[in-house]
Amino acid sequence: MPKVLPAGVTAAAFASAVKEFQGVVGVDWVFTSDADVDTYRDAYSPLWDDPNEYVPSAAVAPDTVEQVQALVRIANRYKLPLYPVSTGKNLAYGSAAPSYSGSVVLDLKRMNRVLKIDEKRHFALVEPGVSYFDLYHYIHEHGLNVWIDVPDPGWGSPVGNALDHGVGYTASPFRDHFGSHCGMEVVTPTGEIMRTGMGALPNADSWQDYRYGVGPWVDGLFGQGNFGIVTKMGFWLFPQPEAMGTATVSVPRYADLEPLIEVLNYLEDSMLMTGMQNWSSPVGGVIGQPRPAELSALMANGWPTDEQIEAYVRAHGGVAWQVRLHFYGPEKIIRATCEYAQERLAQAIPNSTFELDEVLKLPPTPEQMRTHENDPHADHLGIPNMITYGSMSRRPNDPDPPQGHLDMFCVSPRTAQGIMQINRILYETARQLSLPSNASPFNGPNHWYHRCYMMAGMMTPTYRNDTPDRSAKNRRSRQIYETALKNLMAAGFGLYRTALGMQDLLVNQYSFGDHVLLRFQEAMKDAIDPNGIVAPGRYGVWPKRLRDQRRPDGLDAPVAASKESKGGRV
Amino acid sequence: MNRLAISWLVGLAILATAAAGFAQDAPGDVARGKTAFEHSCAICHGPGMHGGRLLPGTASLEAKYGGKVPPTLEDRTDLSPDYVMIVVRRGSEGMPFFRPTEVTKQDLRDIAAYLSRKTK
Repeated sequence: MPKVLPAGVTAAAFASAVKEFQGVVGVDWVFTSDADVDTYRDAYSPLWDDPNEYVPSAAVAPDTVEQVQALVRIANRYKLPLYPVSTGKNLAYGSAAPSYSGSVVLDLKRMNRVLKIDEKRHFALVEPGVSYFDLYHYIHEHGLNVWIDVPDPGWGSPVGNALDHGVGYTASPFRDHFGSHCGMEVVTPTGEIMRTGMGALPNADSWQDYRYGVGPWVDGLFGQGNFGIVTKMGFWLFPQPEAMGTATVSVPRYADLEPLIEVLNYLEDSMLMTGMQNWSSPVGGVIGQPRPAELSALMANGWPTDEQIEAYVRAHGGVAWQVRLHFYGPEKIIRATCEYAQERLAQAIPNSTFELDEVLKLPPTPEQMRTHENDPHADHLGIPNMITYGSMSRRPNDPDPPQGHLDMFCVSPRTAQGIMQINRILYETARQLSLPSNASPFNGPNHWYHRCYMMAGMMTPTYRNDTPDRSAKNRRSRQIYETALKNLMAAGFGLYRTALGMQDLLVNQYSFGDHVLLRFQEAMKDAIDPNGIVAPGRYGVWPKRLRDQRRPDGLDAPVAASKESKGGRV
Repeated sequence: MNRLAISWLVGLAILATAAAGFAQDAPGDVARGKTAFEHSCAICHGPGMHGGRLLPGTASLEAKYGGKVPPTLEDRTDLSPDYVMIVVRRGSEGMPFFRPTEVTKQDLRDIAAYLSRKTK
């Protein structure tokens, strides 16, 4: 007997559906015991053991697309929601837990085949259960001359990460993982197999070459969506470049931020510099380390004036911003591009410095590879790793870290004004909540996506298991997260992803035209998935029969759900 | 009864229940367990370095035990099979739990046999 059942599904019907699932995949791949089902909870849930925690009723793990079709047809008959996951490592964004409690997790991890890699046309076709580590090892074992682009940590899947709009660290055409996909195979909510783009043309050999096919392009519906179950996905790969160059730009004044961004925008948008920018401020402290006392003093009495900020920079070394730039390509082109970039920066910011730190010839030697697997270059070389995960684990200066956290990154235009406005909102939000704040004028952006910045918001801790006062601590984290989200979005700075339970709140802020975007999506949802069985509630899109499950005002606000649609604990 | 005592008793009950569940399965294979460990666990619990630091799981255990036990799981002499299996399925502190499709039930028994091979 599951702990929770979805609305309208009796215990007897659930048992009958499980038996049918077992007939499709075998008894070993349908998980109903508490011990097994608990591994599908969200390890970073801010609702751990709360009655409203998002939990599944069971999980089923198919091995083939035909099994997925059969499971979808059964789910339709019972109106039993399925929540597809690939490798289920989407920590801080829900892990493998469903967006509607009582759903059966459709665990695609066993579908882990690398179906094709073409090193002449530079693409891969993979199943959802393939991880970045799997794909990386496959490429190296077969001696293929292509790179993948990896997020951090690297234990997720290209399919799952792309479908959640995840990002990486190499060249701009590849860092946007959804943007670098080409062609999908999808099991529709009624159980048909659909191929998008050129995959819809029988006998076409261009499924991974041209993504649009003809007519409306539907692939976007499956990113952060619930319009079908993606069972194959093509990705464009980076032909291994001949070299990677790294250079460091430093500017002396805080006010140099604006001209610096303008030069970088030009270099990026001209495709002269396709690598990632790593921003830092030598006077702003180091992420993960205690804030310098002098900076705390500067921020103690409200947001400092521009004059105070410039004086602080001058008094602490005279370098306000540093950006590490990455360039890919033939060595002579990298050197020529850097020479041009240096000239352009010097014209815009006379006292700037530009140092070409290194030109690493590729592929690395085995010795260099061993070295770079173990240094911050790994991400920029497309080597999957767990570096970021380690920064959140127990360390000597953080002996008792929380068990999880909620990620918050918001989209900023590439302007000094955007960056500073976000930093100031975060600072004021911390004061509003009586929290110590890490926000300061010196927090720089993340440059994962081409043509925009992502600013880190408030990373709120989450707690599970036997943490003392866990429930109260998680409630406080939810309050902090929701307050920051609302404050940022009221000023027009939208989060690009969020955790389970926060998705309705996030989507509710994208309200232009009386929420016409969401209404448009839900009209499609009702037509494409009439029984509402694929991931109800994912990113705020609910099927008609469950629409009163929506939590548009946050996790601790009252829910409107009627008795009929609520489902609930057994 | 204080919170610590309750927590200890609950933990004991969980251990007993989980161990009973695992006990009905065949014992694991050490050689297969080494392979499974390298595939599923070594990215965090191996002896290597990332970003100038030990791998996350190894670094975390070094910080936790301060050298009283080896930070690399493969060198531990105090791990029981049941303990390994419970931690993998239930998680521990910053380590999340792993599903039976990521670490299959057979892989889990094999990993437990491998990591407990030095335990007397």
